Amino acid sequence: MTAARARFTAPIRAGSRFLLGLLLAAAVWEGAVILLGIRPHILPRLSEVLSAIALTPGAYRDGFLRTLAETLIGFVAGAGIGVLNGVAFFRAPVLRDMLFPIFVVSQTIPVIAFGALVVLWFGNTLMAKAVIAFYLTFFPVTVNTLLGLNAVDPRQVALLRSFGASGRQVLLRLQLPMALPQIFVALRLAASLSLVGAIVGEWFGDTTGIGVLLLQAMYNENVVALWAAILCSALLGTGFYALVALAERRIVFWGAEQ
Amino acid sequence: MSRSAARGIAGGVLLLLIWEVLARGLSLPAYTLPAVSDILGAVWTHRVPLFSAGWLTAAEALAGYAIGCVAGIGIAVLLVLLPPLRGGLLPVMMAINSVPVAAYSPLVLLWFGIGVASKVVMVALAVGFTIFLSALAGFDRVDRRSADLMRSFGAGHLAILWRLRLPAAMPLIAAGMRVSTVRSLIVAIVTEMLGAYGGLGWIIYQAVVQIDFVQVWSAIVVASALSLSFFGLVGAVERRVIFWK
Repeated sequence: MTAARARFTAPIRAGSRFLLGLLLAAAVWEGAVILLGIRPHILPRLSEVLSAIALTPGAYRDGFLRTLAETLIGFVAGAGIGVLNGVAFFRAPVLRDMLFPIFVVSQTIPVIAFGALVVLWFGNTLMAKAVIAFYLTFFPVTVNTLLGLNAVDPRQVALLRSFGASGRQVLLRLQLPMALPQIFVALRLAASLSLVGAIVGEWFGDTTGIGVLLLQAMYNENVVALWAAILCSALLGTGFYALVALAERRIVFWGAEQ
Repeated sequence: MSRSAARGIAGGVLLLLIWEVLARGLSLPAYTLPAVSDILGAVWTHRVPLFSAGWLTAAEALAGYAIGCVAGIGIAVLLVLLPPLRGGLLPVMMAINSVPVAAYSPLVLLWFGIGVASKVVMVALAVGFTIFLSALAGFDRVDRRSADLMRSFGAGHLAILWRLRLPAAMPLIAAGMRVSTVRSLIVAIVTEMLGAYGGLGWIIYQAVVQIDFVQVWSAIVVASALSLSFFGLVGAVERRVIFWK
């Protein structure tokens, strides 16, 4: 009874606490600017920023949705193909030995710089940014999928085998679920990375998107618009990250102690 | 082990070979894929400007990295020593950190100008948050009972921090520092793309505007080499210093 009630009220309580924190932060921002006399060139008042958004909501909504679409398409495709690729590497040792070092090295070089090439190839399209978000997700997910699959206890595999489980059953019932916590580590990393990739990709001369809003505000030295764009990207980044974290808690419910 | 290493090298060589043969054999135009030899040749011909650009970017990344490490660990220590401060400051830090780091670049450029300072600040910001979060997680990882035990022997806050929390947090801090090497170069390059007097990001941006593919590739090669050596260096230092994990 109480447990059921706690389950029902817990999200509400967490949500209201979050809202309260948000309101508090907004009050601190507004109050600090007024009380400390911070010049608007450094930090404009929150109410000014919000009213700037309210004045032209269309531009911010379009930019938000465009960047969201770019990130989401690339992220979902990168996550799916990354997991498949990790499984393929796991199943084919020759392939893994030949290609996996390249994947690991890709984690230590500034791959985001390749975004410039992608934009040159695909032009200033939604596709180009989705491709950037794709490969920023694809590499870490592949690496962590393989690491997670390799970490499965061989004795458990042997046990399932002894019960007559096929290779596919072992993979789906044991190895992939065991690798999920590792995969989600990569997904959380990729969530923020792919968003940065999409924003940076827009700097090369697109016409809509949060990156464009940032760039235009900078060229006009319009600090209020700049903060409005920063607020939008914060909303997008936090929402996206929270979505991935929520999915993790739902799917990897047994990994709560981590 | 040696067999898989040999396969790894074979894979890398094979990839470059296929790349070269494809680009040469089909005589692909540079905007599709320039040949490896062409890219390396371009790196060699432009070695002087690329070297000075790489040096500038590396200096920005290193300076920001050092500031970020010191600030990140320092703030984490401060929050551990002063728990009341933690309740107030942590939400603010989290709010600042929730913005994708690239979104701060235009603002920092407006504040600090197009010169070196803005890149150093951006790198310090990105690195500082990574280190801060891993240091805080590391400090919190200590078993309460161990801390209580030390306190029962009369150890003060500082002694517990120095002898117990810091050694326990070191592996996590080091992992954060390793990840931050790559991040520092990424942020320096990304900020340079927006506006700079020089550096690899500036070269890449210029090359994109002039649609000079070989130049983009050669700047990426230099950036990757820088990043790899920085990562390797920090990794080697880490293995030396943290012998207990």
